[in-house]
Amino acid sequence: MPSATPDIVFTGIGVACGLGYGKANLIDGLLAGRDVFSTLQRPGRQAPDGVAPFLGIEMADPPSLLTARVERTAGFGARVAMAVVDEAWREAGLDAVAPERIGLVVGGSNLFSREQALLARDYAGRPNFVPPRAGHAYLDSEIGGLLASTLAIRGFTLGVGAASASGAVAVMQAAEAIRSGRVDSCIALGALQDVSTMDLLGMRALGALGAPRFADRPGQACRPFDRDHDGFIFGESCAALVLRRADQAGAGYGALVGAAQVADGQRGPEPDGAGQRRAIAQALAQAGLRPGDVDYVNAHATSTPKGDEVEADTLAASGLGHAWVNATKSVIGHGLAAAGAIEVAALLLQMRAGRLHPTRNLDHPIAPPLRHVIGTAQPHQARVALKTSFGFGGIDTALVIRGAS
Amino acid sequence: MDRDTIWAVIVGQIREVVPELADRPIAETESMAELGLDSIERSEIIMNTLEAIGLDLPMVQVHGPKNLGELADLLHAKRHA
Repeated sequence: MPSATPDIVFTGIGVACGLGYGKANLIDGLLAGRDVFSTLQRPGRQAPDGVAPFLGIEMADPPSLLTARVERTAGFGARVAMAVVDEAWREAGLDAVAPERIGLVVGGSNLFSREQALLARDYAGRPNFVPPRAGHAYLDSEIGGLLASTLAIRGFTLGVGAASASGAVAVMQAAEAIRSGRVDSCIALGALQDVSTMDLLGMRALGALGAPRFADRPGQACRPFDRDHDGFIFGESCAALVLRRADQAGAGYGALVGAAQVADGQRGPEPDGAGQRRAIAQALAQAGLRPGDVDYVNAHATSTPKGDEVEADTLAASGLGHAWVNATKSVIGHGLAAAGAIEVAALLLQMRAGRLHPTRNLDHPIAPPLRHVIGTAQPHQARVALKTSFGFGGIDTALVIRGAS
Repeated sequence: MDRDTIWAVIVGQIREVVPELADRPIAETESMAELGLDSIERSEIIMNTLEAIGLDLPMVQVHGPKNLGELADLLHAKRHA
């Protein structure tokens, strides 16, 4: 008999980002600290004339996995989702699981704004010829619909929006769906946030976007926890994680032993240390662990001055000053909806590799002192890792993951 | 615009929307449903055809044809109305 409260393990990973498609490209690029930052070029996302260009990272086109008939109707983010879910699905062997016992949680909202902007532009003068598919494909449920119409997912599909914490919240919801008995296997997708020019202009106006200081040196603009950080740098990314019951799937990459999400009462981008500390404490309590048990932290660490400062204070005040810390966004940029999921993937792959990637551009770490990975990859076999993810709208999350021994 | 041209546009749009039909002969006696097209694909093909032949009509005015030949006849008539 399956146990009533099974351990939840990660058994499949699929990723895409500026380092390429697939796990091998992600872990190799992270450990090498590859520089893939440039200027954003995708149509619908370029800076208008007379406005400073947007720095960031864009990925290659996804492999062609759909029939020609379906592929021509699927947007960029949907095709990228197909690629990462296909990779994770195969690794996890989901073909052997009953479709009714497989669920999908898509993390992210407003996922197609760049394509919406292009559609508005292209059909401005001919409104009677808007393609019929535009009537359903603008909804974020398009991702779940496309995936479940292509793969044998018949448990449920669900979208969760939690801004930059969406990927982490998708992981939490996937775990909850397994724990409750709703399904046995669940895919958590951190969807590609296909930002538009308008999204970027808004975030620049908000003061969240980096670049003023390093506009002519894209590779140095993203510098989490560094004295000279001046805002986050967007990086296209997408990741799928397959969560399963350990009693059905073995140890996998590791187990999700604690997870917490709290509302801290902020409306916009303001970070809140009290909420962050509360999320970490709750996740550790759920795991039955103390701060001293955590030996690696994959930080949210966006490279915004206020965000980095509050998180550094949070980690120190939470008794995590001893743990190794790195910032995956320093290599792949900030994927917004996808960030929490691809950073969990990065965490798991580093656990398996027994090495931690360096935080790029960390020349002068801000106070308080943390045990940053700087310069080159650090050999370290993490046993218990913490992943923090925070989102606009006062969303603080923490995940605790125990490595497969 | 003659009827043969309109027929060629319809066939071209069908093959654009369903690339898998590129090499399959398409007869005037067939309907889009018989070709396996779903309702969204059928609407897209008709809208694309209307735009390609320069007809800006509400979709409801092109309902009725039982097969592709009748659709070509109707569009030809509308085009020259």
